[in-house]
Order: sequence, then structure tokens, then C-alpha cells
Amino acid sequence: MTIETIAPLDPDAAVVLEMSHISKSFGPVTALVDVSIKLRQGEVLALVGDNGAGKSTLIKILSGFHHPDTGTITAKGKPIRFSSPREARAQGIETVYQDLAMIGDLSVYHNMFLGREYHKRFFGLKLLDNAKMRDLAQTYLDTLGISIPNVNATVDLLSGGQRQCIAVARSIYSSPSILVLDEPLAALGVRESAHVLGLIQNLRRQRKVSVVLIVHNYNQIFEVCDRINFLHSGEIVLDAETSRTSEEELIRIVKSGLGRAAIAAAAAGVESGPT
Amino acid sequence: MHLSITKPGSRIAGKAVHKTRETATERILILLSRYREASIAVVAIVLIIYFQIGSRGGFLSPQFMSVVLRDTGRLGLIAVAEVMLMITGEIDLSVSGTFSIAPYIMVLMSIAWGAPLWVGATVGVAIGVLVGFINGVITVRLRVPSLITTVGTLFLLQGIVVSIYNSQPIIAPVEEPFNAIFGESLADPASSDLTLRALTAFTPFAWTVVVVAILGVVLSRTSFGLHTVATGSNIIAAREIGVRTDRIKIYNFMIAGGCAALAGLINTAQFTSADPQAGSPFLTLQAIAAAVIGGTSLIGGSGTVIGALIGAFVVATLNNGLVMVGAQATVSDIYLGAAIIAAMILSVQVDRLRTRRRK
Repeated sequence: MTIETIAPLDPDAAVVLEMSHISKSFGPVTALVDVSIKLRQGEVLALVGDNGAGKSTLIKILSGFHHPDTGTITAKGKPIRFSSPREARAQGIETVYQDLAMIGDLSVYHNMFLGREYHKRFFGLKLLDNAKMRDLAQTYLDTLGISIPNVNATVDLLSGGQRQCIAVARSIYSSPSILVLDEPLAALGVRESAHVLGLIQNLRRQRKVSVVLIVHNYNQIFEVCDRINFLHSGEIVLDAETSRTSEEELIRIVKSGLGRAAIAAAAAGVESGPT
Repeated sequence: MHLSITKPGSRIAGKAVHKTRETATERILILLSRYREASIAVVAIVLIIYFQIGSRGGFLSPQFMSVVLRDTGRLGLIAVAEVMLMITGEIDLSVSGTFSIAPYIMVLMSIAWGAPLWVGATVGVAIGVLVGFINGVITVRLRVPSLITTVGTLFLLQGIVVSIYNSQPIIAPVEEPFNAIFGESLADPASSDLTLRALTAFTPFAWTVVVVAILGVVLSRTSFGLHTVATGSNIIAAREIGVRTDRIKIYNFMIAGGCAALAGLINTAQFTSADPQAGSPFLTLQAIAAAVIGGTSLIGGSGTVIGALIGAFVVATLNNGLVMVGAQATVSDIYLGAAIIAAMILSVQVDRLRTRRRK
């Protein structure tokens, strides 16, 4: 897998999602303080930061698991509210969780269409149209550039990277506007990660869906992301386009110390993206 | 197995290469995992050959087969009901209680009120479905493990059926065509040839084949079947995707109750007797053993109804065949127990081998 250059995101791309002044506390623990993020059409946004920085909380608010204490979320200019992952999904926000949510004993194509199966009538009985689902799954995986030997294979026959790709493919089958990936590369080896990174790259090339993801490896961020939001102690201390900053600068910020002031000072040296 | 991400346009060349990556062993394993029934069918055939030789040709006689197939039918009907439930990750130990109470009610209704048997049978099946519903609700909504729930309902049902009529077996009335449909032998006792009539020996077996066919289609060709597998395989994921796992479980409890009631009704029609002790918990355990021998996972997520039917045949064959080749009736359980343990070990080991291959 070689690092390929993809044309940078059109700066005029429409903003599909805006989270403004989001704060969230769990009892005495403050998870997020006045966090604002913007996501544009087709953008791949990386959330980075140490454990406990608030990345997961932010993602869980986006996918409908948590409610923000204060702040608003607007999609395509309209304020939206959801109180469950199901409602978030209905508003076009799909989330792929770390546990993958795949059914190991079912085939790839049954997993793709679980909960939205195609049927055919057979003497008045509503039976599964397996041939149709098989063909659709194969075609769809082809368009995403995901190649697996056999869509008939049960999912637990696949490797971790393949499963992650299928999970992503299933999530975007319903054409959501936003795809949220909670640590899509966790527990994957180098080769496995390459598959998933390749898929994200293909999504980025197509610029149809906007992606928010948590990644830990800075190298990978610069490979597939358009923008980085760096969280520290519940605040966004850096918001930069990957094309206008570098891995070295990011590492310098991370190493600059743990205090907000120290990080902000280091971040000031980095050219910030448009806000 | 290999996966590659390529640009959408350039993947055609890669596809041909990856298609040929499956080795012959992998293909056989995939085939075996897809047709788990095949391996148990081999065991069944080996047993048939063994007993046929051991009994000097007596095993495959119509008379003896009709006994084995009658037992296969009774056991198989309960086994397939357990299969559906076990795939969802639950189990029902109360089926023998339902097996006893459904025909008892049917016969009592007939004697006390003169109700036609088919009316009583309908009520009996309805009671079985209701018992399943109660088991399901207690398990799913009140979060009591089904192992405990159904042991409770087992004693409850057993207690009720025994207390209704002082634990007395009742002679069941014979009504045509009810008995012809549910309980009569299709075999010609005078015939010594192994014919189709002999194979369908008793209607119980024919009924079980019908139920197996229906549940087989339900399991592999309907959304309900797909959701049943999903529920047992990964309940959190299934719920997340939108499968109504609670309902799926309750429905499968109801199917199990209905099947158990049907098995009890057929049993009574066949012997023209409603015995409160007809369904011993031993019957349930044998049915579960048959299901597992037939390839149903003990942890949920996979199982086949045809496998369970063949598994029931294996258990019925061991039960009857061992006695036939000269083992004392009292020791046949020892052999059966050993066979069940061997089948379980084999099943677990084959699963482990398959899992290792997956890496």
C-alpha cells in the first residue's frame, strides 16, 4: 500500500455538520469543555488525543449515545437532536463501533443486509432472496474496492481487517451523510490496517460521505485524513488541515507538555485551518 | 484467505488471482461446515451397518425399523424444537411437561365435555404455545436464565398434570379420522419388505418430517430464521442492527412449546392413552443430546433441523439397537451416555479445528 496523493478537499465544500460549544460532564468529571467541530462534505476528520481527552465522549454524542449538557448540533444548517443511536442513524449519522457489530455465524452478504433483507414471493410465502442479496453485496463491495474471496463465507472466517471493511461497507450502504468510526484500526496489524486505510482512502476519493474517526498513529492520520482535531483535557487545542501541517509538528505539540497553556503555545506555531 | 484493497478500476485483475487461493482442504472444511448434517449422516450409516451385521439382518426389517422410526419421530420433534431455541442461545427443559399436559387436557376435555379430539388437540397445542410464551417472557423480560425458568415450569406442569386426575393414566378415546391422521401405523405388518410404507412406519415420523421441512425452510430461507441465528450468534450486534432479539427468543420458545405439545398429542393418539408420566425429563435430555449430536452448537448461533432429525435417529438407533444385538436393557444407557459424550467431544474438537483454520 503506497501513500497516494488525493486532491485536497475543495475549500468551498458545504458544511454538513457543526457541533457548537458542546460541554459534557459525568458527575464531577468534565469530559468536554466548549468543544466546536465542523465537518464538510466528503471530509475525513481525525480526532486525536490522549486517553481521557474526550474523543470517545465526542463520538458518542455524535452517534446518539450521550447527550451534551450544553451546546447544539446542526446538520446542513438545521439544528438536529437525537436521543438514541437509532435516531442518529435516521438523521444520516452511521457509527461503526469497536466491537464491529458483525454476526460471526452469518455470511458476508447476510451481514450486509441483516435487518433490511430482500424477499421474493414463493407460492405466497415471503422467502429471502439470497441470490439478489449476494449479487448486490458483491457489486457494492466491488465499487468500494473491497475484495474478499467469497461473499458466501461466514464473517468469522474473515480477518479483522476484512471484518472492519465489511462493517464500514454495511454502514454506508444506506448512504448516510456522516460515518463515525470509533478506533477503526484498534487491534489490527499493519497489513490489516492497510486494508481499512485503503477503504477510507477510497471513500475520501469518492467524497460522498464525511468521516469522523479516532486514530492513534500519526503516520496513518497524514495518510488518509483531511483535517486533525487535537483534543486535550476535553478541549480542542488544535484544528489543522493535514496538508498544511506535518507529522513532526504534531509530535512536537504532543511532547510540549500536558498543560493546556503549553500545548496552546506550541500549537500557535502551527498554521491553523480556516474556522 | 486474502483481501486486497485496490482502486475500484483496477480490481478485476486481482480478483481472478484471489479466487484460486482456496486450498482443497479449506474447500472440504467449508463444505463440511455448510453441510454439518453430512458428518452425522455418516455416523448414522455406520451404526445401521453395525447393527444390521450384529443382528444378522434383523435391524433393517420393517418391524424393527417402525419401532426405531417411531422413537425417532417422537424424539426428533422435540429435538427440532430445541434446535431453534438453542440457536438463539436458550434452552427449554420444560418440553416434557408440555408433552404430558397437552394430550392429558385433550383427553379430559373429550371425556368430561364430549369435545371432539381435534378441538382438544387445538387447545393442547395452544397450551404448549402459551407455556412457551410464559417461558420466553420470564427469560427475556425478567432476565431469568432459561435453564432455571424452564426447570421451574417443568415442575409446575408436572405438578399440575399429576394433580388433575390423581396421577392416573386415562384411556384415550379413538376418533376417526383424528387417529388415522396422528397415530396409526402405515406399515403393513404382513410385509417383510422395506418399503416406503415401512419407512413412514408410524405417522409420528411422517409428522416430524413435515415439521422438520417447515422449520428447515423457516431457518434458512426467512428473515425470522436469519434473525434467529443473528440473535444467538451475537446478541449485542443483532440488537444494534435492529433485530428484535427479545421477540425472536419469545417466538422460538412458543415454537418449542407448540412442537412439544404436538409430539405429546401424537404420542397419545398412537398409544390411545394419556399418561401424566409420559413425558419424563429424560425425553428432553435425549432430545437435546440428539440436537447436539446433529451439529447444533451448545453456545448458540448455529444448528440444523435436519441434523437434529438424524441425531434423533442415532439416539433411537442406539436405544433400540443395543438391546437387539444382545446388550441388556439396563446397560444400554451406559452405551448411550458414552456415545453422547463421544459425540460432544467430537463436535467441540471439530469446531476448534475449524476455528483454528480461520486464523
